[in-house]
Amino acid sequence: MNLSLTDPFVLAQDYPESTTGNLRSGHACALRFNRKGDFLAAGRADGVVVIFDVETQGVARKLKGHTRQIQSLSWSRDGRYLLTSSQDWKCNLWDLQDGSIVRSVRFEAAVYIAELHPWNQPRGAGYADWNSLMFVVSLFEEQPLLVDATNPECIKLNLPSAPKRGLDEKVTEKQASQDAKQATTVSVFTASGKHIVAGTNKGWLNVIEVDSRTTIYSTKICAGVVIFLRLTSSGRDIVINSSDRIIRTIQMPNLSDDPDTIDIEVEHKFQDVVNRLSWNHVAFSSTGEYVTASTYNNHDIYIWERNHGSLVKILEGPKEEHGVVEWHPHRPLITACGLESGRIHIWSNIPQQRWSALAPDFVEVEENVEYIEHEDEFDIHPQEEIHKRRLDQEDEDIDVLTVEPVKGLEEDNEAFRMPVQLDLQDSEGEEEFVAVRRGEMRRKSPTASRDYMLDSGVIGSGDEFANKRKTKSKRR
Amino acid sequence: MSDFDSTDDVPAAKGHRPQKRRRVYDDSDASTPRYSSPDELAEDRPYRSSKTTRQDSGARRRSHTSDVSADELDHTYNRSRSRTRSTSPESPALRPHSPTDAPSPPTRKPLRLNYKQKFILRGHRKGVAQVRFSPDGRWLASCSADGTIKIWDASNGKHMRTLEGHLAGVSTIAWSPDSNTIASGSDDKAIRLWHRATGKPYPAPLLGHHNYVYSLGFSPKGNMLVSGSYDEAVFLWDLRARRQMRSLPAHSDPVGGVDFIRDGTLVCSCSTDGLIRVWDTATGQCLRTLVHEDMPPVTTVRFSPNGLYILAFTLDSCIRLWDYVSGHCKKTYQGHVNTKYSLGGAFGVGGTDGFIVSGSEDGDIVFWDVQDKNVVQRVSGHEGVVCWVDTCPGRGGKIASGGLDGTVRIWVDADNDLGVDGLNLDDEGGENGNGFARRDSVGVKIEGEDGYNDTPMDDMSLNGGQLLEPSVEAPPPDEMEED
Repeated sequence: MNLSLTDPFVLAQDYPESTTGNLRSGHACALRFNRKGDFLAAGRADGVVVIFDVETQGVARKLKGHTRQIQSLSWSRDGRYLLTSSQDWKCNLWDLQDGSIVRSVRFEAAVYIAELHPWNQPRGAGYADWNSLMFVVSLFEEQPLLVDATNPECIKLNLPSAPKRGLDEKVTEKQASQDAKQATTVSVFTASGKHIVAGTNKGWLNVIEVDSRTTIYSTKICAGVVIFLRLTSSGRDIVINSSDRIIRTIQMPNLSDDPDTIDIEVEHKFQDVVNRLSWNHVAFSSTGEYVTASTYNNHDIYIWERNHGSLVKILEGPKEEHGVVEWHPHRPLITACGLESGRIHIWSNIPQQRWSALAPDFVEVEENVEYIEHEDEFDIHPQEEIHKRRLDQEDEDIDVLTVEPVKGLEEDNEAFRMPVQLDLQDSEGEEEFVAVRRGEMRRKSPTASRDYMLDSGVIGSGDEFANKRKTKSKRR
Repeated sequence: MSDFDSTDDVPAAKGHRPQKRRRVYDDSDASTPRYSSPDELAEDRPYRSSKTTRQDSGARRRSHTSDVSADELDHTYNRSRSRTRSTSPESPALRPHSPTDAPSPPTRKPLRLNYKQKFILRGHRKGVAQVRFSPDGRWLASCSADGTIKIWDASNGKHMRTLEGHLAGVSTIAWSPDSNTIASGSDDKAIRLWHRATGKPYPAPLLGHHNYVYSLGFSPKGNMLVSGSYDEAVFLWDLRARRQMRSLPAHSDPVGGVDFIRDGTLVCSCSTDGLIRVWDTATGQCLRTLVHEDMPPVTTVRFSPNGLYILAFTLDSCIRLWDYVSGHCKKTYQGHVNTKYSLGGAFGVGGTDGFIVSGSEDGDIVFWDVQDKNVVQRVSGHEGVVCWVDTCPGRGGKIASGGLDGTVRIWVDADNDLGVDGLNLDDEGGENGNGFARRDSVGVKIEGEDGYNDTPMDDMSLNGGQLLEPSVEAPPPDEMEED
């Protein structure tokens, strides 16, 4: 409701201009905002998932259950559930109401990316009410899987990686062997959830129908490996990061049409031909108007505008290379993980304080204005008369009760609200430096906080020594 | 605990300070109660007896069944029309109503309230500064200059918990949106958080204010707290980390009141310097400043339920409703006395219309129609200043008041037909719904506290909520708790 008071020029600015802060909790390496944009999930190198409250920039919840680096995060539509995938070969589905693991699915390989089905996903409180729960995973050197985890015993269904060949096309032996080498590196659902778009290590883009689990369309989109795919929130556009140093955007065709008429064409190619930069990670802006990317071996964050396909901004920030970038779902705010420090850096716009806001009779003028006195401006009226006149003017109809619906933001009382944990354990500290003894500080190592798992005995490796040391230090 | 908070023994630092609402209750103030108990109802009766049965022209928005209610509709109808009387030569009261000559412009159903005292909750040993209903409507919290916070069951007035820990008088409390946490601000400069169910404080208080904490507000998500203090600052706190998130360079005088808007994007604050400021929560910037010409000290601000207006209580015995976007004062409500204490009130709903209710320094509780600014009801009961009035969320038709006489009182709209059996909120699931008497019945029966898993903690509960028969003067506070 602050929009009516906010400077329209600030609102018109739709990409961030400068770095405005950072968040830190361990070494973050995966980021994802929820749909409403009030929480940011960050996966850490030690397997912990931290939920940040965007408003307070503080930790709202910590989810502990993975033992290796988090690879991807996927929020449910209502923001109550979070699917995480990790290099420990597992995917966990968390209920943020109490921070418990609802489902834990183990695979035969490390997981690249796991994404919840946009509609067949848990909603509301009772697990019994779930209609279905599906997600797609891309595995390291394995076939991608469609996982139906509606019931605790989940069903894993294989998805094809080989591109679709024309019917008349004879599959030669050479092609067959090539197809066998195809591995899916990334897979995402389309907005309707009826199809999966998958990228392979040979640069192919496959469109897989979910119901039949067959590839209905394939195209060779790039020369290198498809590193990452991301859809806009509307699902109409898709951005592809590939190892050939080019970021491509595509307008999604209507996939429910006859598969033979589908044609996917690249809309824009973004690259830096001068510096020959490759891109670590890409993201769409909230509306899909802009594309942002973090650069390999470079500190900058690039922003392109998609209308004309031009570069609009190179964000400079902290002097480190950035991994995952993520754009806030409806604000000009970009977050990115520093690869070295593990901090989450934030770029946004902080408007100037307007002086006119500080007193009701202040006006901001562009240049000097000659003051023209009104005819009756300094007339003296009896105090009571002024008062009475003023009160008589107050005949407007005032509605203090009716809540006007905010455009674009459905306010649902039933919507999930994450409980605020006031007794959050802050023991492992978000501080970068820890006091070793009096007057002596030590920089915290990014993996130090992995010890907790030894305590709880989650790790099977049974590092007895570390365990003992931990308990000793606790006693101290 | 002793008299740590009487203003009299606080040093001269308080010299120019506006009299604090929790000032120790002075007997002389109360020696002349305005009305004795049958009070204003009696006054109103003659009006009502002038029978003019109005045939309702449109569909009634409220379901009134009793004939009495029809009369009252008429009665208040007259009042509300009084401003436009100049246009119609004959007073509507004298005009026999027929369906045809119902006023031609789309008339608003006049607001009609009939609040009556239900419970007197005794237990505080000094003046009560604030009373607040929990967002779920089940609990009532009160804070007092005696340094304690008490939690009461809103439906039957039973005392549930006493929260002790502050080293000085508590002037403000706020409920978290989930009704499980209470924040309290005190003259010991600390803000404490309390578990509602256990009555235990969270270990670390929020420290940072350099002077008395005057006002608190929870953000609608419960993740932030805004606090206003006598040290002229407004702080935003991250409650999870118990960290001061932002300090708003707010005012040049003590901050009297703060409030969060319903979506949490704005915060408003007010001060005795006469300014009301609206802040952006996300950036901490001032977005708007509202000042009335005469710059009367502003003691309390509240956003309207829909967040479009700000209600400001000023020490010139006015309550003003501001449109903060345009920066204009839209309504001025007068009729109460407010020159010394920072009184507070609330928005309420009667039927489909809004009303504003506030305490008064003459011991009354005054209700205004939001639209026509008329006083629609005035009830008395407190001996001395009524510091704070709060309305129960939901359609219950219930308000609570706290005053310098150390009592908390719960009032119920006796004409709220829903209220007879359904006074409980919808989401309350029907438990304990019969805690209120019918309008005509005198005795009030308390149901047991079945359905509540929270049981009273201590023996104070016995004399915590005293029943009051509506038209009988309350029994003297015969037993006060000893600690």
